[in-house]
Amino acid sequence: MSSSPSLYADRDTFIHRLNARSKLALITGLFVMAYSFTDPVWVFVPLAASFLALVAVGGWPNFKRLSFIVVALFLVGFAVWPAFTHSGGAVLLSTPVGTLTEREVLFALGRSERIAAFIIGGLLFVTTTSNEEIVAGMRSLGIPFAFCFAVGTALRLFPTFLGSANTVRQAQAARGHEVGGNNPVTLLRSYIPLLIPVFMTAIRNVQTQAMALEARGFDTRGDRSFYNRQPFQTVDWAVVVVGLVAAVVSVALRLQGFGTI
Amino acid sequence: MRELLTMWRDTRMIMLVAVVAAVYAALLIPFAGFVVVPGITAVRPGNVIPVIFGIMFGPAAAWGSAIGNLINDIFAGTFGPGSLFGFIGNFFFGLLGYKLWGNLGPLSSGVEPDFRENTIRQLVEFVAIAAAASAVCAAIIAWGLEVLGLFPFSVLGTVIFANNLIATVVLGPPLLYLTYPRIKEMGLLYPDLLHDEDVPDVGLGRARTAALGLLAVSIIWVTVGIAISLGVYNVEFGVAQGETFGQGGATIQIVLGAIGFLLVLGLTAISGERLSRLLD
Repeated sequence: MSSSPSLYADRDTFIHRLNARSKLALITGLFVMAYSFTDPVWVFVPLAASFLALVAVGGWPNFKRLSFIVVALFLVGFAVWPAFTHSGGAVLLSTPVGTLTEREVLFALGRSERIAAFIIGGLLFVTTTSNEEIVAGMRSLGIPFAFCFAVGTALRLFPTFLGSANTVRQAQAARGHEVGGNNPVTLLRSYIPLLIPVFMTAIRNVQTQAMALEARGFDTRGDRSFYNRQPFQTVDWAVVVVGLVAAVVSVALRLQGFGTI
Repeated sequence: MRELLTMWRDTRMIMLVAVVAAVYAALLIPFAGFVVVPGITAVRPGNVIPVIFGIMFGPAAAWGSAIGNLINDIFAGTFGPGSLFGFIGNFFFGLLGYKLWGNLGPLSSGVEPDFRENTIRQLVEFVAIAAAASAVCAAIIAWGLEVLGLFPFSVLGTVIFANNLIATVVLGPPLLYLTYPRIKEMGLLYPDLLHDEDVPDVGLGRARTAALGLLAVSIIWVTVGIAISLGVYNVEFGVAQGETFGQGGATIQIVLGAIGFLLVLGLTAISGERLSRLLD
């Protein structure tokens, strides 16, 4: 994994400049498109659109970093779905165990493309939206401040604890502690000396940080202001409309019988 | 169930939510554990967190587990519609330890979860809780991803249940043995943090019924869901998966999930907790 856990790419592209809420609406439109159809040709449209947008906003390194997961999920989906749908069309493969028909292959391909479209769509969102924008976007969607504060604090603490976990692992390794074993139980048990220091270091933070917050008059019930509040501009409304139209048109086409196998 | 909302008034509970979420997310990524299918599933030691923190931190661990899983999705690149079900599933993964410890009747040890006395009975109680929490988490996520048409119930239901259960059962008891006394001494157990009026005031009988109900519903939901998905119970193999509404999984699976989820919600609403009384 790279040194930074964040997938956010700090660029100045059109999608980066959008409000987090309008980005969410756009991504939701793409998700609905991918969800509406089963024909792999139709599901390919939102998949390709997400992928091209991801590359355009500088998300190629992120895709490369996660390509292993995308490919693995795609292949597993492609392998398991034929067993869970009706057969139909020409027989492509016949073995003593069973047959593989054209319909089963197309169905599995459509499902795997849907999985990839969801992952790449989500990746597009996190590539173009910083942690602060995610939290501010949640707040502007009406989610209570206390919840947004917890998410924001967790996002800030996460890299610290990630570093702490790696430090503990290296420190225990330097003391001769070996993580490993021939079976999952032995392997899991070897993690105990690593987990305890991480747990206790993290828990100790609770008291001191709570006191620091209260000393500064922290109150979750009052109105809050944000230093970097993103305005919801005309272009954001336009993007919301695009997302909405994509979703509505996809559902309408699907109800008309398009995009099925 | 009111305490799931009122806990957000307390600064220390909010900080516990943030810390549990950050630790959960941070431990899921670097400690990959035993890889079952590369890129898909691994028995992760981090999966022990929701249950043991749920027993100690109550509602804060439930919210923290849900947020931690969401953060993991964001940083691992798997953020998407399935993240909603991951959020809900992990919320209940963390909640059940809080609701069930001490309330499981004959399966309960009747003591604090420190594994220093009544060890065998504590172990039995912990395994029952781990099974229920792992099952409800697996059932909710597998159901959601089946509705979304991403993976059949039997695939994710089995994988998530096994992963969560193995990590929790193997790591939970020693971690509670080592951390519970220290956290109790620090005054960070949920009975020490929740306001008295926020601790559910539920009679022992009702709390026990709800807890045993949650245990039964969770196990039955995941078992029947996997069985249906695999074609048992005279349901035609595959039951036209993917045909329902032209979108998601089989109708019977969606109905089973809806009933299971409503039962879990209802039982959670009438359930209580026991640790505060065990501390007295």
